[in-house]
Amino acid sequence: MSATGNESMLRTRGLRKEYGKEASLVRAVDCVDLDVPAGETLAVMGPSGCGKSTLLHLLGGLDRPSAGEIWLAGERIDQMSERGMAALRRDAVGFVFQAFHLMDELTAVENVELPSLLAGRSPRAARRRARDLLEQVGLADRARHLPSQLSGGQRQRVAIARALANSPLIVLADEPTGNLDSEATLDVLQLFDSLHQTGQTLVIVTHDSRIAATADRLISMRDGAFVDDTRLTGGTVGNLSALAGLDG
Amino acid sequence: MQQEVVLALLAKEPSHGYQLRARLRDALGPLGDAMNDGQIYVTLARLEKAGQVAVERAPGMPDRPDRKMYALTAAGQHRVSEWLTEVSWPKPDLAEFHLKLLAAAAAHLADPIAIVDAQRRELLRRLRDAQRAAMAEPRESEAALLLEGIVLRLQADLRWLEACERTWTKRKASSRRGQ
Amino acid sequence: MGKLIIVSRLVVRDLRYRRGETAMLVIAFVAATATLTLGLVLHGVTSHPYQQTRAATAGPDVEATAFPSRGGPPADRAALASLTPLVRARGVTAHTGPYPVAFAVLRAAGHTDAVLAEGRGQAPAAVDQPALTQGSWVRPGGMVLERSFADALGIRAGDRVTLNGRSFLVTGIAVTAAVPTSGVGFLESSPQFPNPGLIWVTRTAAESLATLAHPLGYLLNLKLANPSAAESFANIHTSGGSYRNNVGNPYLLPWQDISQQDGQLIRSEQQIMLVASWLLALLALSSVAVLVGGRMADQIRRVGLLKAVGGTPALVAGVLLAEYVAVALVAAVAGLAAGRLAAPLLTSPGAGLLGTAGAPPLTLGTAGEVVGVAVGVSAAAIFIPAIRAARTSTVSALLDAARQPRRRALLIALSARLPVPALLGLRLAARRPRRVAANAITIAVTVSGLVALLFAQASVGVPDLGATGSGDPGQFDVGFASQTERLDQVLLIVTVMLAMLAAVNAIFIAQATVRDARRNSAVTRGIGASCRQVAAGLSAAQVLPALAGALAGIPGGIGLFAAANQGGYSGTPPAWWLIAVVLLTVAGVAGLTAAPVRAGARSSIAEVLQAEVA
Repeated sequence: MSATGNESMLRTRGLRKEYGKEASLVRAVDCVDLDVPAGETLAVMGPSGCGKSTLLHLLGGLDRPSAGEIWLAGERIDQMSERGMAALRRDAVGFVFQAFHLMDELTAVENVELPSLLAGRSPRAARRRARDLLEQVGLADRARHLPSQLSGGQRQRVAIARALANSPLIVLADEPTGNLDSEATLDVLQLFDSLHQTGQTLVIVTHDSRIAATADRLISMRDGAFVDDTRLTGGTVGNLSALAGLDG
Repeated sequence: MQQEVVLALLAKEPSHGYQLRARLRDALGPLGDAMNDGQIYVTLARLEKAGQVAVERAPGMPDRPDRKMYALTAAGQHRVSEWLTEVSWPKPDLAEFHLKLLAAAAAHLADPIAIVDAQRRELLRRLRDAQRAAMAEPRESEAALLLEGIVLRLQADLRWLEACERTWTKRKASSRRGQ
Repeated sequence: MGKLIIVSRLVVRDLRYRRGETAMLVIAFVAATATLTLGLVLHGVTSHPYQQTRAATAGPDVEATAFPSRGGPPADRAALASLTPLVRARGVTAHTGPYPVAFAVLRAAGHTDAVLAEGRGQAPAAVDQPALTQGSWVRPGGMVLERSFADALGIRAGDRVTLNGRSFLVTGIAVTAAVPTSGVGFLESSPQFPNPGLIWVTRTAAESLATLAHPLGYLLNLKLANPSAAESFANIHTSGGSYRNNVGNPYLLPWQDISQQDGQLIRSEQQIMLVASWLLALLALSSVAVLVGGRMADQIRRVGLLKAVGGTPALVAGVLLAEYVAVALVAAVAGLAAGRLAAPLLTSPGAGLLGTAGAPPLTLGTAGEVVGVAVGVSAAAIFIPAIRAARTSTVSALLDAARQPRRRALLIALSARLPVPALLGLRLAARRPRRVAANAITIAVTVSGLVALLFAQASVGVPDLGATGSGDPGQFDVGFASQTERLDQVLLIVTVMLAMLAAVNAIFIAQATVRDARRNSAVTRGIGASCRQVAAGLSAAQVLPALAGALAGIPGGIGLFAAANQGGYSGTPPAWWLIAVVLLTVAGVAGLTAAPVRAGARSSIAEVLQAEVA
């Protein structure tokens, strides 16, 4: 799998996910068309229950759509076998969960090396890569700490490092700062920003406007469908001074 | 620029005008770059008139504004102490936007939701810029703290705009049903 | 009173909320108590079978047989004459016979065997009236077989057999106290007729069976005023001078000898039953302990909630105890009933062990024991955890701190070098070492039992009662086939029960493991492990401890058999049988746990993770 230039890294057509039957039918994702070029940071915002998390689960191969197509780096993934999807989650997609979902009994470095081990890398190579990633997220000195010994922000950073273990084509983050205070949020923000600088394609689902503001593009979702799609550019520092109360 | 800020800046020791300018710039970081240089001298002149600041002329210096030495008078010092204990806070200004929406809806001039969305987009852009500026500064620096404040206020405003969107959407839906 | 209501309400709600788990718990409890019941019943029944038969058939205190010496005239009444004085001897209160007896050759359904045919009349005898288990008593052209002999040959009432070439109809099957229950190797035998089986025919038929080579003998049954004096009576009248003559001494057999021989003969059976009953009981108790202990881990958080809303430690402990004791009581009653119903499988005359008529005794004592044990074990198993749970601070209980798995750095480092399924399996096992140990121990106990039973079965096949002399044993099927066949049936049933209980345990442990590993499995799949890898890991976490337990069960079983078998005779089953047991056990565990494992590995990742966050 690879993508070049302005080709879409991620594309969906008519994506749908439904639960229940007839009277109790719930359309979590309703006919979504999406195009994410390589290297873009996309933020998806919306009220709770609007289906943004479900959408992300579909994009990451954690769930199967009821209808529609998903293309990742030119390959169709919505009808893959379970095995194929597992390989997808391992090599092509890095997922960051709101609840971190780290293994409690593994240290930070052991958590981060796990996807590499699953991919069949030698233990030594996996360990080395894990250490590099932990350094990248600024937690090299906490490598041997258990999750219970880390703060929320640190745990999420370990989770992000884990998501990067196999150099995924795209990183999907589901409310990454939902459980974090503002200081930890800043840390994660900076991390996402640096990832963006390296050209990583990012799709972030969030209700935090700060996270959304780091994105190149913002999509608003309501009741399972996209209602707005904006590019975020512009403004000058002059505007900021006004916001600070410094006028003329 | 509030006058009391300049007074407070003089509380430490008498300073030249350019020194005050420099300290302000440091404290404001990137926001300080857009500051009007001349503004501070206007403020100093006003304060002198009000008797809160006195000019000390360095002996043998020509009479130029940037070479003047300014110092607090007793009245000035009193005012500073008073100011430090005041708990007034900058006024929020939401009423204008609120009325804008109501007027647009009542007169059918525009879709309130569209107005809210447009405002949201603008605020998001500003948030993005503020955030970028904040991240460019070293952490724990004074400028970073100020920028953090801007970001958080914008965030709060955005939350209110989201609430506006929700309410106006419901209002539209129910009015449609009513028709 | 209010407390009682609260406690019962909480207990009922919880049981109803976790319906699936409660059902599994009840099933496992019922299996355990049924097993325990059967074990106890078995234990009771093997004690005094001979006495029961003796009472039911008015068994003789002394049996006297006399055969004319070889070379004398056939159908000689001299043998009869030697028996007649005994009838009037001192101490004799009643007698039946003398009955004519003759050796003969029986052919039936491909078997050839030696028999001793006893001639009887139609009317019931006062002493030694055999009790029919099938069909009706002798009549012309018909014969009745002794039960163990009939079992060995596989003959039922209504079959046709030949006796010395003449066709006879088997009119019935009966048990008697005149021979040991196994009916083997006890009767008067001659070299040409080793270990004959006992049959009854009409008097005329018996007389007609006598030949020149094997003349007719006579058999007399005596009842004494003092049955315990039978041994001395036999001593006096056997070696008494007046009976030493050329005709041939009568052979006197007191009932104690028969009883003792009976005891010896079935000692192997008894030992096996004893071993089996203890094994079953042990397995039953251990499975209850595992079940209850396993559930405790889930309860800690519930304890926290109870305390957070104001429950006192006493209330909390009370709720926990009440819940398990309630389940144990219900299950114990159901298990008792199941055991009671299943017991005849092992002890009914038709299926074959012991000659007792009627249903095996399920005394109030036994029932009380079973219920008491079930309740006691579950209370004990939960006592300490309940106290600890009640003492835990509310906060840590809510945070479920007690459930945090311990970290095994060495195992984690080691597992990194293994292929993915082994990596996952080892880490999974390392999280819950106690459960792994419980799994291994259960399997070890089961396999020990199976191995011990195999050894027992091999031992029973070894003939221990005097290989008959110079005659040609190959000519006749040897009579103790009946014993081994009955034993085989019993062993089979006990084996099946052991296996069933172990199977229930294995499934339960597997389910608990899968449930415990739900979140981790989902996360591991979320970061790229395939369904198959996760399933293999879950499976490995079950199968490898089972393998270890099975291997440990071989020496365990050998030791168990050696400890139980103080009678001396022992055989060894072929080595490949032992290997087969291990392999079958492991395969069985893998097969049984496949379903919960697959279900666990296939669940929707998104759903599990959402649920875990909630």
